[in-house]
Amino acid sequence: MSRHSEATTSCRVPCCRLKRSQRSFWHPRRPFGRRPIYCQLPLVVAFRLAPERAAGGSDAEVTAPDDLLGQFAITVGFARTRAVVAIRGQADRVNAPELGAILDAVIERHRFVVLDLSELDFINGWGLGVIAARASRLRRAGGTLTIRSSSAMVLRMLDTTGMAELVRLEHPDPSLHRLGAEQSIEIADAPEPYLPPSQIPRITAIPADADVVDGALRLVVALARVTVGGADGASVSLRRHGRLSTVAASDQTISDMDASQYATGEGPCVDASVNGRWFHAESLDVETRWPAFTPRAQALGINAILSSPLLAKERPVGALNIYSRTAMAFAPKDQELAAVFAAETSLVLSSVGVDVTDEQLSSRRSEALGTRRVIAQAEGVIMEREGVEADDAYSILCDYSRTSNQPFRERAEDVVASTRRLRLGTESEPGRSHHG
Amino acid sequence: MAETSAADPPVDLLDRYRLDACLSHGDLWLRYFELGGMDDALELEAILCGAIRPSAHDREVIAHALNERFVELGRNHPVPYSQSDAYRPRDKSGET
Repeated sequence: MSRHSEATTSCRVPCCRLKRSQRSFWHPRRPFGRRPIYCQLPLVVAFRLAPERAAGGSDAEVTAPDDLLGQFAITVGFARTRAVVAIRGQADRVNAPELGAILDAVIERHRFVVLDLSELDFINGWGLGVIAARASRLRRAGGTLTIRSSSAMVLRMLDTTGMAELVRLEHPDPSLHRLGAEQSIEIADAPEPYLPPSQIPRITAIPADADVVDGALRLVVALARVTVGGADGASVSLRRHGRLSTVAASDQTISDMDASQYATGEGPCVDASVNGRWFHAESLDVETRWPAFTPRAQALGINAILSSPLLAKERPVGALNIYSRTAMAFAPKDQELAAVFAAETSLVLSSVGVDVTDEQLSSRRSEALGTRRVIAQAEGVIMEREGVEADDAYSILCDYSRTSNQPFRERAEDVVASTRRLRLGTESEPGRSHHG
Repeated sequence: MAETSAADPPVDLLDRYRLDACLSHGDLWLRYFELGGMDDALELEAILCGAIRPSAHDREVIAHALNERFVELGRNHPVPYSQSDAYRPRDKSGET
């Protein structure tokens, strides 16, 4: 407590205190899905420790002289859907508990966390241990810890300790992340679905009505069109009945653009939908990946395309396409915003069950109809045996199922089967109530 | 057909159980339909929202559909059934 010189009021981070005015950023908002997203306010939390921390280190610990190091500080900020934790100074045994507590508090609310080590002066096993534990926990929860650092030493340390497999690496210079015209790579830092597959409700039944889904996708297109910088149009392609089709488009030209890609079987939209990867054509003047499609796009006045995959439970089901008449129109922040839209849309598509195929749905319905028939037969048997009404017969079956922990269908099948055995004279009557 | 009685658990409790069971409205409807439920998906959603009062039978079917899901998840029938936890045969006057 004595090390927290700015302490004023209680806070959600166990070992630290925040100023009352700094606590407003925890307000949730829910743009599309059920998952809360926390406000993207600028830096609001600053944890500063007094210099006397070095006195707490053990003799055995490797520490660096304080005069060579900056003051230890941790800053937590939020960039769109990611929390960014920046560490300055040294991450050693003395500071490790504070670092761990702050990371715990952030991880509790965010599954995509960036750990900015670009101003880190020193890190040892204590600091690495804290980071590794949180990276592992985030990974189990379906999240990602991204390490932002340009230091070859840090990167080598991560590699040597095996932590590179637990985290993602990111260069602090955003310009180095910009995707070039010759690149078509899987986006490294695109927000991912926020829930691990085990937490996404299991789709066992019917998807949402297509009209409802289409309405939501039209909203996504409209929002992407007006918020992504450089965008002149946007569309959503979705695989339905085994083929891609444009579900929502901002105008006819954009719809024609998508149709050209379906016709030629190539283009960023098709590739993103099939491969589940992010494709960016910065300038069609130099684009060589889609020789049949590119001239058609240029003829319609399009010069840059950004296609982000839409995933339903990690399977690609379509793409969010953003088009521009201007080459090099999409800045890194626009690319990230497009990825956010795609991630949010993917969440919606997962929850409404667009990945449920017609065959699966048909099979499930047939199964349900079969079960109903068996249950109706079993009810009839019990009604006849017990002399009760249909609802009471159902209650008897329900009670059997509950007390024996046997699925309703299986219990009903047993009752129906018992009539056959009775006809053969080999069985007592399992449908007979023992209540009365 | 008898309606739910005042002694039954509140209907919106069913929707909380549905969420707890990680079932969408569509998922639950198909399970309800499979177990003999007669209402369509919209009516079931209205029941869960408290806009329509279900019959005792419908409530029992919904509760059992939820409980079968909970059994799949390793829990033992947490959703209370209509009127009682077990079937009790009615006498000629229809009273339990």
